[in-house]
Amino acid sequence: MTAARYVLHEIQSYHRFIKFLIFLVALAAVGSTIRFIFGLGATTNLNDTYPWGLWISFDVVTAVPLAAGAFTIGVVAHIFHIKKLEPLVRPAIVTGFLGYSLVCVGLMLDLGQPHRGIYVLFPWNWNVHSPMFEVSMCVMAYTTVLFLEFLHPVSERFGWHIPLRLLRNLQIPFAILAAMISTLHQSTLGTFFLIAVDKLHPLWYNPLLPLQFWLSAIFTGLSIVILEASLVHRFMGQPNESDLLATLTRIIPWVMGCYMMVKLVALLTFSEGALFDRPVLTTLFVVEVAVGLLLPFWMFLQSRIRTDKSMQLRAASLVIFGLVLNRFNVSMFGMIQPGQQIYAPNVLESVVTVGIIAAHILFFVLMAKYFPIFEHHPEAVDATIPDTFRRVGKEELKAIPVTVLPDP
Amino acid sequence: MSARTDFSRDKAFLIDMTKCTGCRGCQVACKQWNQLKAENTTFFTGEGYQNPPAMSEHTFTRIKFRDYQKNGQNEFAFYKEMCMHCNDPACASVCPVGAFQKTAEGPVVYLDDKCIGCRFCMIACPFGVPKYEWSKAFPLVRKCTGCYSRVQEGLKPACATTCPTAITYGPREEMIKEAERRLAAHPDRYLQKVYGKEEAGGTSVIYLTALPFDELGFKPVTMRALPSYTWQALRLVPGIFLTVGGTLSAVSWFQHRKEKVKQAETESKGAACCAAAEAAETSKEDHQ
Ligand code: SF4
Ligand code: SF4
Ligand code: SF4
Repeated sequence: MTAARYVLHEIQSYHRFIKFLIFLVALAAVGSTIRFIFGLGATTNLNDTYPWGLWISFDVVTAVPLAAGAFTIGVVAHIFHIKKLEPLVRPAIVTGFLGYSLVCVGLMLDLGQPHRGIYVLFPWNWNVHSPMFEVSMCVMAYTTVLFLEFLHPVSERFGWHIPLRLLRNLQIPFAILAAMISTLHQSTLGTFFLIAVDKLHPLWYNPLLPLQFWLSAIFTGLSIVILEASLVHRFMGQPNESDLLATLTRIIPWVMGCYMMVKLVALLTFSEGALFDRPVLTTLFVVEVAVGLLLPFWMFLQSRIRTDKSMQLRAASLVIFGLVLNRFNVSMFGMIQPGQQIYAPNVLESVVTVGIIAAHILFFVLMAKYFPIFEHHPEAVDATIPDTFRRVGKEELKAIPVTVLPDP
Repeated sequence: MSARTDFSRDKAFLIDMTKCTGCRGCQVACKQWNQLKAENTTFFTGEGYQNPPAMSEHTFTRIKFRDYQKNGQNEFAFYKEMCMHCNDPACASVCPVGAFQKTAEGPVVYLDDKCIGCRFCMIACPFGVPKYEWSKAFPLVRKCTGCYSRVQEGLKPACATTCPTAITYGPREEMIKEAERRLAAHPDRYLQKVYGKEEAGGTSVIYLTALPFDELGFKPVTMRALPSYTWQALRLVPGIFLTVGGTLSAVSWFQHRKEKVKQAETESKGAACCAAAEAAETSKEDHQ
């Protein structure tokens, strides 16, 4: 009783915006309940022409690359060992963990037999020829890795010393594993659409789609880190990281450049059939490339823009816009056949997807409130406990505050 | 992708649309054998007399009608829509739990107790065959089973048994031979093409028609087996997995080693100098 009152009291003290987010999430929960009671056919605009709709296009195909920040920043900071980026890693991991958890939620909502989702894990069902099998396995594996990485701030919060040391030793192996798993499933999301041979329009259909999905996930992941750090600076009173972000904005154009080259080669040499025969699709393609690719690419090449905190945010937002449009073009718009009825998500589908986005922001804000996700506390590790995992000795403990400053 | 490469002894349908009368006995027989519900439809919603408007969870096969003019006369042409029972079925290759199986006898069957309902099979099938039970809260996929239970007992599928004129059923190799014989014997009556011989890598349903196939509503499909399109990417997966892991491990080792060497160098220069460097670095990285 008192606990409930305490929670209620706590919620009442939240900012208006957080309360609004809670409202959106609650609405989505109601929507999901309705969906489970009455079934997909009755509650969504899906049908035999559109077996996949908003929930697959956004909650899975788009949300996965949007959650790529964790693995990309992990590689940059831990593998390439650019230590000063450390402050960006932990928020990115929290975002990634939330993102992947919500991808799982989205997948569950979309499955016709959600209670059987676990069947994918049973070895006698394994089908290595299925891109869906690979993505499901990877998403589960990676969510687990992210969860373990996320335990880091949690252990700090509660002062669990032994797990903390273990996790600290595993930081680099985890970063490598995360990159391995992410490479697979980010690209395999592109492989999904290789089966749609005569369905996906040649503007997007080509055998290099998996490579393009992987490359675009990398630069979008880094852009998400920029977006998140900028917003957190603006609205959550965190320090301005634009100097650190400038390191990322130097990396992004390289990856974008590779991506554009692959896209061009794919379009010129691997595409079959008329490219510009459908005005609407042509427009979508042009917007995707011009606004979501060329413009931010140009912006990131200007050193003035690259280092300016509000311009960084704008360029990163354009990249993210371009990615979202690209994934929708591939998974939805480009699949519509001429003369086919047009699909639009209904209210319930939209409310649920909005709720998922709201949940992401809400949980992030709440976690930032209760867990040390913006700062490391290496001094919180009790060095007097016999360290069976070695490595974190007194020497290292002394060394760590040099790179990452604890709260003053 | 199925492991088999020889499909000549698979049971196949040879459907000669020029001999079809449009009686739709096959449609009814299919509903009876599979105990499918009737659909409440209105006439003349689509082209000609075709009914219902599309295949669905309740309709596994359907006759499409097409009116056309020949020598000033009104004529009908038909197309029997059904699962093509592909040699290398796209539906089976994409299913994450292997709920679709190409049987040794030929039919592609669906194991409904495995299906998780991701509907990837519906996206993948080049002929738009698998349909979903949108009317149910926990739906499954439905499609023509090739009357697998009948075939196992040595019977012909329900539609092939009912059809008075157009459907022949037998080993795929013989069906193709028979189709080619008919094309050669009556070049004036047929379009010179055996649909299903190469389409989507070869199917167990083979069509002959008089009109061009696209005019009858046949979907344009590639001649390659569809699973090969995804497999050319998926087969690289283990290699890429290990390459990424190996490369990043090497990079990480190298970068840390560089760091250590640098540290050792600074240390050898003396503690005082090191402290100064540390202080400098600290102020540089102080982002707060
Ligand atoms: S039963 Fe035979 S003749 Fe009658 S509609 Fe079906 S295929 Fe045509
Ligand atoms: S026609 Fe479609 S459903 Fe039938 S076997 Fe081929 S891919 Fe599968
Ligand atoms: S809907 Fe069922 S049968 Fe179709 S691909 Fe998904 S799990 Fe397999």
